[in-house]
Amino acid sequence: MPELRKDTINGRWVIIAVEEGRHPADFDVEPHVSKGGGDKCPFCYGNEDKTPTEIYAHRVGGTKPNTPGWSTRVVPNKFPALRIEGELNRMGVGLYDVMNGIGAHEVIIETPDHEKSLADLSDSDVEKVIWAYRDRSIDLRGDKRFKYILIFRNYGESAGASLEHPHSQLIALPAVPIIVNEELKGSENYFEYRERCVFCDMISQELQETERLVTENRGFVSFTPFASRFPFETWIIPKEHCADFSHINKDQVIDLARILREVLLRIKNTLRDTSYNFIIHTSPVEERERDDYHWHIEIMPILFHVAGFEWGSGFYINPTTPEDAARCLREAKI
Amino acid sequence: MPELRKDPVVGRWVIISTERAKRPNDFSKNSEPLMEGQCPFCEGNEGMTPHEIYTISNPGVRKPDTRGWQVRVVPSIHPVLRIEGDLGRKGSGMYDMMNGVGAHEVIIETPKHMSGIADLDESQINKVIFAYIERINDLRKDRRFKYVLVFKNYGALAGASSIRHSHSQLIATPVNPKLVKEELLGARRYFDYKERCIFCDLIKQEIDSQDRLVMDLDGFVAVTPFASRFPFEVWILPKDHSCDFSNIKKPQIEYLAKVLRTIMRKLKRALGDPPYNYVIHTAPFRIPKAGYWRTIEQDYHWHIEIMPRLTKVAGFEWGTGFHINPTPPEDAARYLREVNENA
Repeated sequence: MPELRKDTINGRWVIIAVEEGRHPADFDVEPHVSKGGGDKCPFCYGNEDKTPTEIYAHRVGGTKPNTPGWSTRVVPNKFPALRIEGELNRMGVGLYDVMNGIGAHEVIIETPDHEKSLADLSDSDVEKVIWAYRDRSIDLRGDKRFKYILIFRNYGESAGASLEHPHSQLIALPAVPIIVNEELKGSENYFEYRERCVFCDMISQELQETERLVTENRGFVSFTPFASRFPFETWIIPKEHCADFSHINKDQVIDLARILREVLLRIKNTLRDTSYNFIIHTSPVEERERDDYHWHIEIMPILFHVAGFEWGSGFYINPTTPEDAARCLREAKI
Repeated sequence: MPELRKDPVVGRWVIISTERAKRPNDFSKNSEPLMEGQCPFCEGNEGMTPHEIYTISNPGVRKPDTRGWQVRVVPSIHPVLRIEGDLGRKGSGMYDMMNGVGAHEVIIETPKHMSGIADLDESQINKVIFAYIERINDLRKDRRFKYVLVFKNYGALAGASSIRHSHSQLIATPVNPKLVKEELLGARRYFDYKERCIFCDLIKQEIDSQDRLVMDLDGFVAVTPFASRFPFEVWILPKDHSCDFSNIKKPQIEYLAKVLRTIMRKLKRALGDPPYNYVIHTAPFRIPKAGYWRTIEQDYHWHIEIMPRLTKVAGFEWGTGFHINPTPPEDAARYLREVNENA
């Protein structure tokens, strides 16, 4: 009998096909064939002038901005979805509402090495990427026009990546995205009734039951969520309650780098280097520190194309139980 | 300057990047070859599917699961929900779950091995729509179900299976789907304030401005929504207010068949046979419950949403519900108005 599971936070129902569960080998994975870096790739060494002027970089001492010598580099997106200059100008058009597409759209180039992916970098290189996420978040939080800072990574063509050189992206938005808002509302409701953070409860249940646990270290836990929307969907969450990703401390950066790299490597080895998206869900740009929300990373491997039923209903069909997915990921050779 | 637009019903913001506007030819095409060998949906292969639930047959006597049909409805070969059993709602620690009870059916739209609804003639599409209505009205009798979603996946990028034979699907669910609920709530909120149906207001504004109007014919309009999530997204709505798709009657079914066929042919011509999904959004089954669905007859308006799948949805969209649409709906509507569906 398939199961309907309810996402505790936002009330979304997911159909989990428990009996004929699909295993890693049952999915077609498109192979990644590198087109090669060098001259054509704007993110490789020596092509620093092919990107807009850099905003931030980790560099070896003495090297100048926009030249080689960096290990992590942040630049504005050359084809931004939103523009940094201007005012929002909210207005109505008949019954519709409009505002200008103001925002920041930045690219975090994770390594000069074209052929590596985040899972292949050293722990200390991944730490530098996380510091870049954090430092850019803090800087953009100072701009009062922005309500939300979203950090995400598209890996592989099926996940929407247009350039193969390893990179993540950051978008600062003038409105809190609807999915985040639903998560915020859901956790507020839970807190009102129980006076506990829903994510903290989830962490303690997952650590106790262990069937959906992928891995853990000093500061973080990784598990496949009870009502996963996608097969092999995996979350990484700090053990200590904190709503705002930009408050991450030095020890946590070290622990996060380790667990993120490990989980991505487990996914890579289990699912034959599949395309994936990950996103960091954090609290909106605000003064208060929320007791009811808890930042986390959601990793979504892309194993099939989402169809009309999902788009029309917001009801997801997941053909792999999260328990099977977690077991495969735990057993992966890394 | 790109624009952020808010969907007036659900409250979803969409980024419309007006400058980087993509034209139909900028999207790479993805034509799939037809499946070789035996197709379970072809006439003569009725034994390859589960037993039929409903058919529109040729005149004369016909045994079930044999030749001689025009439209045939069968249970899905790989159902995502099961028809037997109780809901069994329960908790597991902090989590909530229930059994995956529901119906999952396939509407085979033609006995011939044709791939798309755009290639069927009007009278055949008319029968397909009639089959949708008959199946919804039958499933309504099952008190376990709250909603029936009718949808179509065309092309691999839109999630279609390896069977290329033209078909739609329906899934009856024991809970109201989240997106439908949000739309219903959005419509009710608007009604509470203005005492008018938001969709009726939308139709009026679209007919007045013409910018996003693709067709206005025989009681139906086709528009590219103001806050379209996808390039060339098209909605078809009845001009006369009605919350329930399954209430439409004879001449209207014929008119809808004509408009749906024209739009599907226009999309095929303009975009080179793109992959697409369409879904019918209609009112849920209104099981009597005090104070529930109080004003739904007045506040909700059924419609069809057609979503060509020209761009890959990336992490940003999944993580935020914020869609980035590279084609302004006004441009999309103009292309679709101008393209000759019979060329």
